[in-house]
Order: sequence, then C-alpha cells, then structure tokens
Amino acid sequence: MPTNRFLSVCKALAAGALMIMSTVSASFADDFKVAIVLPGVITDRSFNQAGYEGVERAAKELGIEFAYSEKTAQPDQPQALSDYARRGYDLVIGHGGEFQESVDRVAKRFPDTKFLIVNGTEPGGNVSTMSFDFAGLGYVMGYVAGRTSETGQAGYVGAQKLLFYVQLGEGFEKGFMDARPDGQVYTAWTNDWDDVAKGKEAALNLISQGADVIFPSMDNAVVGSLQAAKEKGAMGIGIYYDAIADWPDTVIQSAIFDMRSALGEVISRAKDGSLEGVSYIFGLETSAATRIGSYSDRVPSEVEGDVSALIEKIIAGDVATR
Amino acid sequence: MIEFLSNPQAITDFLSTSLRLSIPIIFAAVGGVISERSGVFNISLEGCIIGGAFGAALGAYLLGTPVAGLLLGVFVAMMAGLLLAGLAVGLSINQLVAGIAINILMLGLTSYLARLILGADATSTLPGFHPIAIPGLSAIPILGPVFFNQDVLTYLMYLLVPLSWWVIYKTPWGLSLRAVGDYPVAADSAGISVPRVRLFAVLISCAMAGLGGCYLVLSQVFVFTEHMSAGKGFIALAALILGRWNPIGALLACLFFGFSDALQLRLQFNSPDVPYQLFSMVPFVASFLALVFLSGKVRPPAAIGIRYERGGK
Repeated sequence: MPTNRFLSVCKALAAGALMIMSTVSASFADDFKVAIVLPGVITDRSFNQAGYEGVERAAKELGIEFAYSEKTAQPDQPQALSDYARRGYDLVIGHGGEFQESVDRVAKRFPDTKFLIVNGTEPGGNVSTMSFDFAGLGYVMGYVAGRTSETGQAGYVGAQKLLFYVQLGEGFEKGFMDARPDGQVYTAWTNDWDDVAKGKEAALNLISQGADVIFPSMDNAVVGSLQAAKEKGAMGIGIYYDAIADWPDTVIQSAIFDMRSALGEVISRAKDGSLEGVSYIFGLETSAATRIGSYSDRVPSEVEGDVSALIEKIIAGDVATR
Repeated sequence: MIEFLSNPQAITDFLSTSLRLSIPIIFAAVGGVISERSGVFNISLEGCIIGGAFGAALGAYLLGTPVAGLLLGVFVAMMAGLLLAGLAVGLSINQLVAGIAINILMLGLTSYLARLILGADATSTLPGFHPIAIPGLSAIPILGPVFFNQDVLTYLMYLLVPLSWWVIYKTPWGLSLRAVGDYPVAADSAGISVPRVRLFAVLISCAMAGLGGCYLVLSQVFVFTEHMSAGKGFIALAALILGRWNPIGALLACLFFGFSDALQLRLQFNSPDVPYQLFSMVPFVASFLALVFLSGKVRPPAAIGIRYERGGK
C-alpha cells in the first residue's frame, strides 16, 4: 500500500524560494530504487507531468521502488539530488537541462550512484543524459503547420533559451519554411515556464503579427498560449501528449515526446546494469518515444500522407531538419 | 526596432498587452501600499494573488458565474490576510517570516486543492468577465480601445486606485493609518487602536491582491493553473517601493513594468539580437535604482516591520 507524505520545506528566506517535496514510495521485492527531481509541478500537462508519469509507469512495469520531488527551485537542486543518493537510490534523475550543473557536482560525490539528466547535454562517468530529436519532430510540426496555415505565418513560444527548446524552434521554423518558402515564423521567449498570463499575451502578440499557428513549448504556461489561439480562432500545436483531447477545435497536431517510453527504456538499462555515461537520444525511428499525435480535421487530408513520407525521409537522414 | 509603432492597430495591441500584464500587479501593489502604510510588511501578496486566483476559479467552476468566483476569490485572499494579521499583528511574530510562511502555505494548499477539486477539468475554460466598451470613450483613436474596452475588473481598478489615494491622504481613517505606520505610540495616545487599524489595513491589502488573482483567472486566461501567480506578488512589492508607498506611484510603476514586459514579448521578433533577459530584469533594476537614488528623499513608513506593544519601551 503506497504511503503518501507531503512536506513543505522552506529554504533560505529568499522570496519565493519554494519547494514542495512529496514522496511516494512503494515497496517491492527488488531493491533497485529510482528517484526523479522535477523543476515544476506534476500536473502541468506538459514536461513535468510527462516525466513523473514516465517514472511512475516504468517503476510499476519493472516492479521497482520510486520517489519524486516536484517544484524544486534551482538553488535546491543539489540538496534534493544528494539527499536521494545518500538514501541509497540507485538511479537519480534530474528532469531538465537546467540540472546539468548540479548533477555534475553531486555525481562526483556519489560515484556508485547513477545519474540521468533528461535533456542534459554533457554525459560522462556516472552521468548519462537522455533526450529526444527535438529538431526532427519540430520540423515535422513546422511542416504540418506550413501546409495548414492560411496566413503563411506561424509563431513559436518558448520559456528559456535552453538548447533543446532552441532546436525545437529551429526545426519548427525550417519545416514551416520548407513547406511554405514564402512564409514566416516568429519566435518569442517569455522567460517563465509557469506564467500563464504571459504565455497568453505572447501568443496574442504573435497572432496579431499575422501568425495563425502557435507552437508553445513551456510547462504550465502552454495552457495560456493555446487559450489565446482558441479565443482568436487560430491553430495550436500540442507538446508531450496528444493535446487534441483537451483542445479539440484548436490543436491541429501534437509533438509527442513520450517520456514514459523513453524513461522506461533508460531505467530498465540502469536496472540491468547496462546504463553507460553516454547520451541516449530518441529520434523519430523510435516511434514509441518520439512521434506525432492525432490530426485535426483542419489539416488538409492530403497532408497526412506527405507527412508519413516525410518522417520516413527524416529517419533515412535525407532531410536536414535544422 | 520599433517600426511596428507606425501601425495604429499594432500600437493598440501593444498597449492592451501592457495594460493586461500590469493589472494583477496594480491590484497587489496598491493593496501592499495600504498594508505597509499601517506599518505591516505584506510579503504575502504573492500568496494572496494565488489564493484569489484559486478562489475565483473554484467559485466560477462550482457555481458557473464569474461573480461567485470574484466573491470567493476575495474571501480566500482575506482569509490569508486574517492569518497574516493574526500572526504579525496579534502574536507579534516577525512580519517577514509570517508573510513568507503564508506564501508557501497558499502555494501548496491551492495546488493540493486544485488537484483534488478541479482535477481533470483543469484546462476547461471557466466562465469569466468579458470586455464592455464604454460608448464614446472607446471610440478615441488608439487609446480608446486600450483603456475603455475592458472588463469589469479593469474598471474596478480605475476606481480603486484613486479611491485608495483619497482614503490614505484625505480621510480621517487614512490619517490614522499613516499615523499608526509612522509613529504608533502617538497614534495610540490619541486614542487610535493600533491593532485594529493594522488588522483592517492587512485585510484590505490582501483583498486587493486577491482581486489581482481574480483578474488573472476571470478576465485574462479563464483557467487556474498551479503557481499561476508566477512571482507577480514580488514584482508588486518592487512596484510599491518604486512608487514610494503611494497608490498613484505604485500604479505608474506597475504600468511601467507591464510596458517593459510587453516590450519584451514584442521586440523579440522585431530585433532578435536584444536578449530577452534584459527586459525581465527591468522591474528589479528600476526598484533598485529607485532605492539608491531616492534614498533620503523618500522613506518607508517609519514603524514598518516593528511590532507595537502598548506601554512598550
């Protein structure tokens, strides 16, 4: 029977430094344990929820124990990571590229623990990184958007210029331009993953510039951007899950980076001892991890066949996606 | 870089964005002014915003009308205010510590309750307030649609800011408020109840910050998401310092912050070379500079942060 503990920890008096740590643990026969430290909340319907559900599912399937900490602020990362390592967790996951530095620091002190950075950039030793071919799937989304857009203009909304989100945007822009050589893609960075109001205003701005397809890639703030698209009758692209379920009239296609399948793969490697200090990248060839979602009927039907052919070409390496 | 200014529609859009981004922090900052004028630091503005937002979403979700949301939102924020007043005024606990504790509590509590109550419906659009154009005024070119084609809460803000100024500077209660914040011993000896004035000030302050949260949910995005306050309470604190503890000053500071936020969102695709972080820094750099260059000319309420004990030394 799982036990639930909910404890709030106040670190430093720095305004806003907040960390809700919640630990869910389930005991199974195997003593391999995995923990994930997340920057945001596990209900964001985006990056953090995908990571949490990924570990939860993998742990259930592999019959291992898992724990998580959500809403861990950047200054609290080393503390949270080393806490899990000290408590004997075999694999400690930092969920997001912003964990690179803190994991590097902590990993040296715990050479027997394996660390994984989702969207990390520098693997080595006991640190592995895992990410997706962001540019590739971004390219496909851009292509779909380019073929569907009426105004020939699209907007990409990101939070912070982290490497993979820059690549996602670059892929999106290239795909859009290849489908629509006379088109234009605008990019806006809001500098906030959770600020829904800012996500919405950013998208409204892009729409007033003429964009009619919006591709947001933040966490909670994605909701705001899609809301703007919905209000203005524009189109949106979902991220991480098949978002058309929540936005039936707005979302035309989704970039599904399936953390569940990707994390499952990496965690099972860690469990059988074959996880190495390298970078694991899941591209379109591993469709369980990186794939497109459902089409809306706003997308012309002939596009679907072209997109399937395009994905084959990207897998074969015949298309430059950035 | 600013060629979009040649298009009237683009200017209207840009100014509307600036205003919409400012409104939640205007409510919170003016609320903060009232509390700090009475000598109580209101660090919990952030918690009151998220509390107001959650109450607004809950009321609108359960009862299907934005008015219910507004009332519940203000109520939740006032409960946070009651807690702050109880801790900081009643029990004389350090005001900063109490404020931070309330922020953490509200953030955790609203997240927990949202998962429990809103759950799977979290992204469905809630009923909200929609813009009402004021005949005549909204037809003014460029500025008309920006200021006079807004929703009820924006018009409420237009009323509350001058009203707060008038109450603070022109009414007996405002005089008591300022006396309690500057020299509570004198106020007390003149027969003014220091705890009562501070209690009311904190409650009004939190109710106003709660209105900021209501605006986010009922007028801006029509959904509740965890941590949607996203630091606006702290920006409001910066604004009230920059605005020299004066409602009108705080209003102007917030408009300036909203303007720089909108400029950040707008300038990026016109001139991608300007780093977006530059604009995110603006509120903090401006408040910092205000503290440095206005030191001596302007001072915070003298008794702020100091607990008051009757007959104390």
